[in-house]
Amino acid sequence: MVSRRRVLRTGLTTAAAVAGTAAALRPVAAAGITRSGAPGRAADPAPGAGMNGMSGMSGTEPADPADGGTPLFDEVYCGRRIQGFTAPEPAGARILVDGRELELMRRVDGSWISMANHYQAYATPLDTARGAVDVIGHAQLSEAAAHHH
Amino acid sequence: MNQRNLTSDQRSRFVQAVLQLKRTGRYDKYVRLHTKYFAADGETGLRMAHMAPTFFPWHRQFLLVFEHELQMFDPSVTIPYWDWTADRSQNSALWDDDFMGGNGRSSDGQVMTGPFAHVSGNWPITFGVTDEKYLTRDMGRPDRPIVLPTAAELAGALKIGTYDTAPWNSAPSTQGFRNKMEGWTVGDAKGGYLHNRVHQWVGGHMTGGSSPNDPVFWLHHAFIDLIWVRWQRQHPHAAFYLPSRPLAASDPQHGRVLSASEPMPPFNVKPSAVLDHRTYYTYEEE
Repeated sequence: MVSRRRVLRTGLTTAAAVAGTAAALRPVAAAGITRSGAPGRAADPAPGAGMNGMSGMSGTEPADPADGGTPLFDEVYCGRRIQGFTAPEPAGARILVDGRELELMRRVDGSWISMANHYQAYATPLDTARGAVDVIGHAQLSEAAAHHH
Repeated sequence: MNQRNLTSDQRSRFVQAVLQLKRTGRYDKYVRLHTKYFAADGETGLRMAHMAPTFFPWHRQFLLVFEHELQMFDPSVTIPYWDWTADRSQNSALWDDDFMGGNGRSSDGQVMTGPFAHVSGNWPITFGVTDEKYLTRDMGRPDRPIVLPTAAELAGALKIGTYDTAPWNSAPSTQGFRNKMEGWTVGDAKGGYLHNRVHQWVGGHMTGGSSPNDPVFWLHHAFIDLIWVRWQRQHPHAAFYLPSRPLAASDPQHGRVLSASEPMPPFNVKPSAVLDHRTYYTYEEE
């Protein structure tokens, strides 16, 4: 199921990549995250991270890790693999837990909330992803809810 | 009325009506609606259920529609409220086996007791943030303990004389009763504030976007609704909802928040139409 927002994101990602500009650098930088490398090229890919360059631009795979974004983090937290990438506005970033998208939203003060933790804000996408794992434990994210917006 | 004053028969009737709504497949649309209308203020588009002045009237209408559906099964049923400043413990009768059921077990958060336990066979989760098919709770968040808001904290919010104020969002600097009550003004160490912290305290499904999967959602928001009533009583000369007029096209929040006279999706009901709860119901307090 392709949601309206999903289409929007893919379109913006493609446009940003073609223009050769980093997508959504501002909000990420504002949150104190450092980044390096160009869009679509993993800055510091972890072994087996599955980065596949620009192939994510098609946007047809529901949880393609790259999707044109620059990696922000990739770690195992409490037994779950959490990954973060830059993404176009409005969210400015996206996060995956074990390869499944976790809906991320941006607050006006620069913090984030996730679908898993809707009533608590975090300063960075990494904190948001960890906070989500704290809540969901070993449960698998649902595709339906992740793409609802 | 206060859930603690319900008779055994009233508790049972409420539970049965909720279970019947679930059985007919009509409960889960409320879960979807709540998920759909949670938009954040750092992004674009209309905000409706949260981080916006429509927080109170949208949820009032949400509860009204839900209650109306329950009453089609049993006309005697109304949504009780949970005063979490008074019933603050997981040993409260609220969580007994004949009502909401108890806490989740430590291994996977699964609620094992009461009518909404998955083992009862009557409460499958079909639309959640995760693929779990069972209701989860994690009361008090033991790994980083928090407590329910106190009466003093609630009184502090009720004292604020202005309903809401520009820029009508969740920023800590947005001073007003609505944002204070919704709970975005306090840092995460305390698990947020007031409304938000109650979601956090129950834990499990109540923590996420699909929070109406836990029936206690309705009891929590019935109390939030009553708090709006109490605030109106305490400030009879205040505007009960702001902004009173549509925002000018030049306003940065134009198209992002609704004034009293603009209909709220998906109900097509204006905030002004639900400002006075007595049109629809009254509260038996204490």
